[in-house]
Amino acid sequence: MDIPLPEELEWLESNSLLPEETEEDEFYYPEDERIQKLPETNSPSLSSPSPTEKLDCRKRVRSEEEEEEEEEEANEEKRVRKSSQAEADEDWLRYSPPPKSPSNDLVVDQALVDPAGSVVVEEKILSRFASEIEGECIPVTGPDGDRVYAKVSRWETNHDTERSRVKIPPSGLLSESIRILIERADQEAFTKALTDSAEPSMDEARPAMSSIRGQLWVDKYAPNSFTELLSDEQTNREVLLWLKQWDSCVFGSQIRATADNVLSALRRHSSFSQNQKFSDSKSSFFSKSRSPWTIQTLEASDAFQQKIDGVKNTFGLSKGKSPRDNPRDQKVLLLCGPPGLGKTTLAYVAAKHCGYHVVEINASDDRSTSIVESKILDAIEMKSVLADAKPKCLVIDEIDGAQSEGKGAVEVILKLLASDKKSLGKDNITQEAHPGNLSSKKRANAATLSRPIICICNDLYAPALRQLRQVAKVHIFAQPTVSRVVARLKYICNKEGLKTSSIALTALAEYTECDIRSCLNTLQFLNMKRQPLNILEVGSQVVGRKDMSKSAFDVWKEIFQKRKTKREMSMHGIDCSTKDFNYIYSLISNRGDFELTMDGIHENFLKVHYHDPLMQKTVKCLNNLGVSDSFLQYTMRNQHMSLFVYQPSIAITVRSLISQVEKINIEWPRTFLRNRAIFMEKKEELKSWHSKIMPSIARHQLVESFVENTVSPLLRILSPPNLRPVAPHLLSEIEKNDLTQLVDTMVSYAITYKSLKQETKPGIQRHEAATDVPALTLDPRIGDFISFKDYYPAMSSELSLAMKQVLVHEIEKQKILRESGGKSGYPFDKCRPTTTAQPAVQSTEALAFETNYRAATYNMQNMKETISLRQGEAVVPKNSKLGANTNIGRKSNPPGNVQKRPCGPQNFFDRFRKSNSKSSNDHEDPPKAATSERDLRPLLFKFNEGFTNAIKRPVRIYELLP
Amino acid sequence: MLWVDKYRPKTLDKVIVHEDIAQNLKKLVSEQDFPHLLFYGPPGSGKKTLIMGLLKQMFGPGADKVKIENKVWKIDAGSRTIDIELTTLSSSYHVELNPSDAGFQDRYIVQEIIKEMAKSRPIDTKGKKGFKVLVLNEVDKLSREAQHSLRRTMEKYSASCRLILCCNSSSKVTEAVRSRCLNVRVNAPTEEQIIKVLEFVGKKEGLQLPANFAAHIAAHSNRSLRRALLSFETCRVQQYPFSENQTVAPMDWEQYVSEIATDIVQEQSPKRLYLVRGKLYELLVHCIPPEIILKKLLSELLKKLDADLKHEVTHWAAYYEHRMRLGQKAIFHLEAFVAKFMSIYKGFLIAAFG
Repeated sequence: MDIPLPEELEWLESNSLLPEETEEDEFYYPEDERIQKLPETNSPSLSSPSPTEKLDCRKRVRSEEEEEEEEEEANEEKRVRKSSQAEADEDWLRYSPPPKSPSNDLVVDQALVDPAGSVVVEEKILSRFASEIEGECIPVTGPDGDRVYAKVSRWETNHDTERSRVKIPPSGLLSESIRILIERADQEAFTKALTDSAEPSMDEARPAMSSIRGQLWVDKYAPNSFTELLSDEQTNREVLLWLKQWDSCVFGSQIRATADNVLSALRRHSSFSQNQKFSDSKSSFFSKSRSPWTIQTLEASDAFQQKIDGVKNTFGLSKGKSPRDNPRDQKVLLLCGPPGLGKTTLAYVAAKHCGYHVVEINASDDRSTSIVESKILDAIEMKSVLADAKPKCLVIDEIDGAQSEGKGAVEVILKLLASDKKSLGKDNITQEAHPGNLSSKKRANAATLSRPIICICNDLYAPALRQLRQVAKVHIFAQPTVSRVVARLKYICNKEGLKTSSIALTALAEYTECDIRSCLNTLQFLNMKRQPLNILEVGSQVVGRKDMSKSAFDVWKEIFQKRKTKREMSMHGIDCSTKDFNYIYSLISNRGDFELTMDGIHENFLKVHYHDPLMQKTVKCLNNLGVSDSFLQYTMRNQHMSLFVYQPSIAITVRSLISQVEKINIEWPRTFLRNRAIFMEKKEELKSWHSKIMPSIARHQLVESFVENTVSPLLRILSPPNLRPVAPHLLSEIEKNDLTQLVDTMVSYAITYKSLKQETKPGIQRHEAATDVPALTLDPRIGDFISFKDYYPAMSSELSLAMKQVLVHEIEKQKILRESGGKSGYPFDKCRPTTTAQPAVQSTEALAFETNYRAATYNMQNMKETISLRQGEAVVPKNSKLGANTNIGRKSNPPGNVQKRPCGPQNFFDRFRKSNSKSSNDHEDPPKAATSERDLRPLLFKFNEGFTNAIKRPVRIYELLP
Repeated sequence: MLWVDKYRPKTLDKVIVHEDIAQNLKKLVSEQDFPHLLFYGPPGSGKKTLIMGLLKQMFGPGADKVKIENKVWKIDAGSRTIDIELTTLSSSYHVELNPSDAGFQDRYIVQEIIKEMAKSRPIDTKGKKGFKVLVLNEVDKLSREAQHSLRRTMEKYSASCRLILCCNSSSKVTEAVRSRCLNVRVNAPTEEQIIKVLEFVGKKEGLQLPANFAAHIAAHSNRSLRRALLSFETCRVQQYPFSENQTVAPMDWEQYVSEIATDIVQEQSPKRLYLVRGKLYELLVHCIPPEIILKKLLSELLKKLDADLKHEVTHWAAYYEHRMRLGQKAIFHLEAFVAKFMSIYKGFLIAAFG
């Protein structure tokens, strides 16, 4: 505090006598305010400050009494003056009490006029009439109704110390009235509080200002070196290790000094971080960790180089694999984890350490494949023209943000990997040996991947990443421990001069789930607002809550795993449980997919080890799941989507029943979906079988009850134990009878035996199938319908292979009989309408028939041991005989039936299709059989008139004639 | 051809089991007063056989000439068009279809396709039978909306079209539809009736069928004629000269269910429940309806149960079956029943044996 100059003191004193009018300088006041003020000025005792002006009055009072003190103690006065000056700076308004005598005032005023300012002095200040006052005036009405006009005067001075005071005549024992004293005491307390509050904020203002000009704290305090990383030690190391594996490819066989630096730093850091508190003293931390670091970088000498391999090997061995042994088997690194844990930072830092120049592509910006591809290729292939010419490391951020059309990045990477794999097989060795060749090779085989790519995502299970997940090396980021985050935050706060308590920081870190970015942003925000971090505030609006949906796994984990309740939280139990409820509720409803959530619960809840001697909890859980299921069904059926709000509470009920502290291994609910897929498949199979069965039989049987009551007996009927595998003519009469009945059944149920191999590769393997011993299975695989897991039927008598072959032969015979004649005692044959809308069905049916037929014929061949490839000769005569038979049979029938024959158009068209395929496939007998069959018949075909969608082709008449 | 199909009565006259119904139907046809019909009864009781017989009685042998048609219908439903694939079985007199195949879109089938079919009135040269018959299977699986639409269709096109509805349980057919039909209850054949049929088939096949054996088969048939005939044929194939106490091979899935029941009774724990869940999935995957599984499981469990518990367990089985029908994930409810049973049984064991 400086001692005031004597003039100043004088001036102050004189100023104290200034009339209040003069004090109003350049401020503008609304009229009404002034009206209220003036009564006070009129009243001599200043006893009733109007409540609306409390602040102003208080200020005034303060200044008054301060002046009193000032008169007594000079020292005191200085302080007051200073504070009043500050007040003037802050535009405090003050009103002075009325002058005792205006004239007197004037004299003083004129005498002490400030040389810098010009004072306008008025003779008449208050008047009953406006006309008496020169210049501006304002009307003033007193409390008793008197109306006067007051002169408005202006001071064009730039005094900052105008003030006024009243000399209140001491009227009692006290030098001042008791009211003033009390007010003073209050005032003092107030000012003290004010200054207290103002001081830290003033202090903070400066660094805050600088940080505005600078940058976000998030960027400012981003880790620059590997040792500063907050993320999990293990992850960091593995990422680094992965990057190091590229060294041989990128830098050639020569190992850089950085490798050693990083490795040794790593070792040091890992040991260091174990026994050193991060938070203790930042300066010491850096002095300890940095200095050896830099020294080492400098002295990357040859002597050191020799140790490198040793170090590297030990490191590699300790990890279980040497980077050399395992060169780039997983060429892409996929980092995933919730936002704000430092994935990008890690990628940058690690790449920098390994001597790469980082190229970042934000996959959610550039969505189209072509753009992304060109970018990636640029990054990978181009060499920097800059002097340092560091190799590039590609960081693709937010790769999961790319949905549907934006799968570009993922596709490009997969393409790269695929082409790489191909080329790798060829020139793996050359690449390893001569990395110089690499670029030329690369140009030759389009693009191969020769630079590390790091992909970063939040949701590992995003559909876009499905393929990438399989080829990439995946690292899942775990949350750093709260203490680590808090330590870091504290360090930053100290640096920024923000006063915080560790408790508040801990609360903040927990609230944001260790999202460092969010923490820092919050802190910076609070710093700007000059608010201290308050524990209570953490939960309120101050911290932006991420409205992100968690992955399904997080939801399930939340349900199955009880949180370790903090002691302070468990104190108010109800509050805690509501909070918990709200949290989980929002978690589940944000997730949305309730069906999946419930499936997950169902899949996993039996693994939870809860105490449940009588299984009552299990029953309750399942009941809840059942409720949820019926809820869902009802909601979907009636489209009452608002009912979805009740789903989370069901899950919460389950949670309250079974959640345990221990961790369980949660699995994706595959079982249900897989089973549903199998179910659909089986049902489809059943349906297609059902549609193949003769309609007169099939109509009596529902698809649904097929397995229930038909399949098992049918299977047994189809495999009679007493049938001998001999040629048909050797069978006894009864056996023959049985056989015909069996064949009859099989044909009418559209069942046949089929070679397994035939099914897998119909085109190529046919000869092998014919020469190998084929395993014949029932064609609609009826056996599968009753093959339950861990179930072995009591009597599973299967026919011998030879018997099956006999059957196949017989079935084919029977089929041909029915096809051609259709009159062998069955009143209704499959008779396809020639109408619209089903050529596709027909052709597939026809195809199916054809394949069956082929299979059958081959088996027939096999049985007859005809090994010649030209099976045609063997078959044709037989078939022609058959044809003759049918021909005769048909002729004996009434002509009405003959008319029906061509109306099965698939025969008609099949004929041409088959003869077509015959030209491509010269060992093709069924068409021959067909032609020979046809050849024996007179021309009876009549093209049905009318509309058809079937394939039309011109047919010459001679093709139809024999 | 299996005996089931081979000896299926082709006309109403030849019906053995439900002779009274057959006679009534015959009378209906002869009186030319043919209302809408609703056949309901358990599977394997002969509903379809009766319907076929009825059709043949009405239209003569022409009704037997059926063809399968698989057609994609394009239905204009307001803003979008829906493609529904539907397989129909039709003769020139009638069309048979299964509207519940379309799942939740069954409403459109009823509204559009049936209407379309019902509209076109067949023109008979003799001008006698001026109506078409639509046979709808599994009406009880139709959604409520579809049944409501059906109601209107039945009234509006009753002049040109008669509906024959066929279902397992009439309780799931709405009152409105039921009241528009002549309801024909086809109950499951009694064991005596089954024995009669077995003897008839045996005679036709020229087999020696011991009476006791026929009774044995009938007892194992669950009162389903289809099953009885199938197991009869199975026995014939396995061992012809029938012995008195030849074993009738059980259904494989039923064997499996009884294995599950044994598992449940052996141990009651979440771990065992998990194992049972896997087995239940197996059954479901193999296209066995969940209701049937539950029913069979219950009966298997009841065999092994103390009399005191039977009532309670049955109650819970009904409870869970009800919920199963409300929901769509049968496994939840089946498993809940198993868990409930385990809980009850365990409690009982502890109370009884300490």
